[in-house]
Amino acid sequence: MNRGLLIRAFRESWPAMLLLGLVLMGVEAALAFVLPKFGSQMSEQWLQLDFARGIMQAMLGTEIGDHIGPQMFQAVAWVHPVALALTWAHALVSCTRVPAGEVDRGTADVLLGLPVSRWEVFFSETVVWLVCGTALLAAGLAGNLLGIQALPPDHRPQLSRLFIVLANLFCLYAAVGGLAWLVSSLSDRRGRAMTIVFLVLLSLFLLNYLAQFWHPLEKIVFLSPLHYHRPVNVLGNGAWPWRDMGVLLASGGVMWLAGGAVFARRDLCTV
Amino acid sequence: MVSLIQLDNLTRRYGRRRAVERVSLSVPEGTLFGFLGPNGAGKTTTIRVMLGFLQPTSGQARIFGLDCWRESKAIKQDIGYLPGDLRLPPWMNGLNALWIFGAVRDKDLTGAGGELAEKFDLDLRVKVRDMSRGMRQKLGLILALAHSPRLLVLDEPTSALDPLMQQVLHDLLRQLAAAGHTVFFSSHSLSEVEQLCDHVAIVRDGEIVANESLDLLRNRAGHDVTIRWRNDASSAPIEPPDFLKLTRREGMIWQGTLDGPVPRLVEFLAGKPVEDLSVGRPDLESLFRRYYEHDREDRR
Repeated sequence: MNRGLLIRAFRESWPAMLLLGLVLMGVEAALAFVLPKFGSQMSEQWLQLDFARGIMQAMLGTEIGDHIGPQMFQAVAWVHPVALALTWAHALVSCTRVPAGEVDRGTADVLLGLPVSRWEVFFSETVVWLVCGTALLAAGLAGNLLGIQALPPDHRPQLSRLFIVLANLFCLYAAVGGLAWLVSSLSDRRGRAMTIVFLVLLSLFLLNYLAQFWHPLEKIVFLSPLHYHRPVNVLGNGAWPWRDMGVLLASGGVMWLAGGAVFARRDLCTV
Repeated sequence: MVSLIQLDNLTRRYGRRRAVERVSLSVPEGTLFGFLGPNGAGKTTTIRVMLGFLQPTSGQARIFGLDCWRESKAIKQDIGYLPGDLRLPPWMNGLNALWIFGAVRDKDLTGAGGELAEKFDLDLRVKVRDMSRGMRQKLGLILALAHSPRLLVLDEPTSALDPLMQQVLHDLLRQLAAAGHTVFFSSHSLSEVEQLCDHVAIVRDGEIVANESLDLLRNRAGHDVTIRWRNDASSAPIEPPDFLKLTRREGMIWQGTLDGPVPRLVEFLAGKPVEDLSVGRPDLESLFRRYYEHDREDRR
């Protein structure tokens, strides 16, 4: 690991981390505070309606079953489209910096004119991305903890269960990042790479959402990373979703490795 | 003399378009080597292969005896590189650039960088986003030179510098070459290469068309000759000899190139109504044009 590369990568990454982290903190605080209040105003009978139940299940990505209660609304805070959009936006911004961003900006020449291997650049950027990603999710957790202070103690989720949800979300973040690394390695234009990843994620998000309404899609819903992030189960039973986390980490890892291999072998042309 | 850069039949294509074709070069250590050609001739592609950004389609590129693609990292330990279109992150200033580049190279570059900044008259506290193109070019040169590399690869380094700073750079490069460093200097400015370099390669359409010392190149190119006759009528019946290739024959003026020794021409002109004769070595500019004119004629 090269110290200079780490310094450079961190200097380029912290503004996005700080900005998105603060916004995520605010969003999580607001959701954690508002959603349970919203839930208390809804009768369980309302959730027995197919339509209302469908929407809630689509958002949570799983059968509600007997999870109706405060933890269900707490879980929404971790699958809410705004929260997901913020974490994914960070993964997208961070993981398309190298090589697509550097080639696009024209700074790849100076960076790779230094005595560093492409794998070293890739590793350094990855380390900084993962550190920043951890900080981003920690900011989300801090916001969530702030928001739930306003709830009655028996409505607050257990901290240990929140950590499991966060670990699962981190795996989802890593899978999205892995995809972004791969697309970035294949591209010379950062905007193009971000657009491709965004469209893929949007399709997978919709797949997970629509599968709750249109049953033929259930056969392919396993392709969506959201299928492996179901905080309502974790908050309900406190069990580690090892299989889900494993699938997300493995798919993210394979795509990241493929991205690194492509970057190490490809031609780089900024002119 | 040890060859620092060795290119053997280097070919690089972009799809079906050829960028460089069977380029062979040998750059001896301690030379100021000019790599000359117009835009699009293949200079930057050659440099990008040397730096390990592009893989050769065929042939081989070696620096310090190491393969430019597979051992790129080791090679770049001792290279200072200035790209033709220099871009730096906009948040950087000279001071943190030197600090970061120093951290990458595991060397303290602030002292040497500060001295170079004084020579180039650059304020290292100014951020890249606030710099003019010339200032960015100066910073790029400082970053390329600060670690005192064994080999400097400069892709059109003076394009954004004013004449005063060009002179500072030329002096600096001469000092470096005198101290045993090697400079690979790409340019399309003929006069600049002529002033600075002792060895030159001319690239045309991706191929090397000349590769030798400037003196040899001039010797091989013959002499530029201008003959002024006394009047139109006196020159009309005279036919030029084989060793004098005329490029202009208008009235009293003949201009052309002498392929052979000067006394032979003097012998030919003896007794003829010559008013004035001028014989000189061609400058690099006319040599360069000659190579390109031959190319156009070949195509016709």
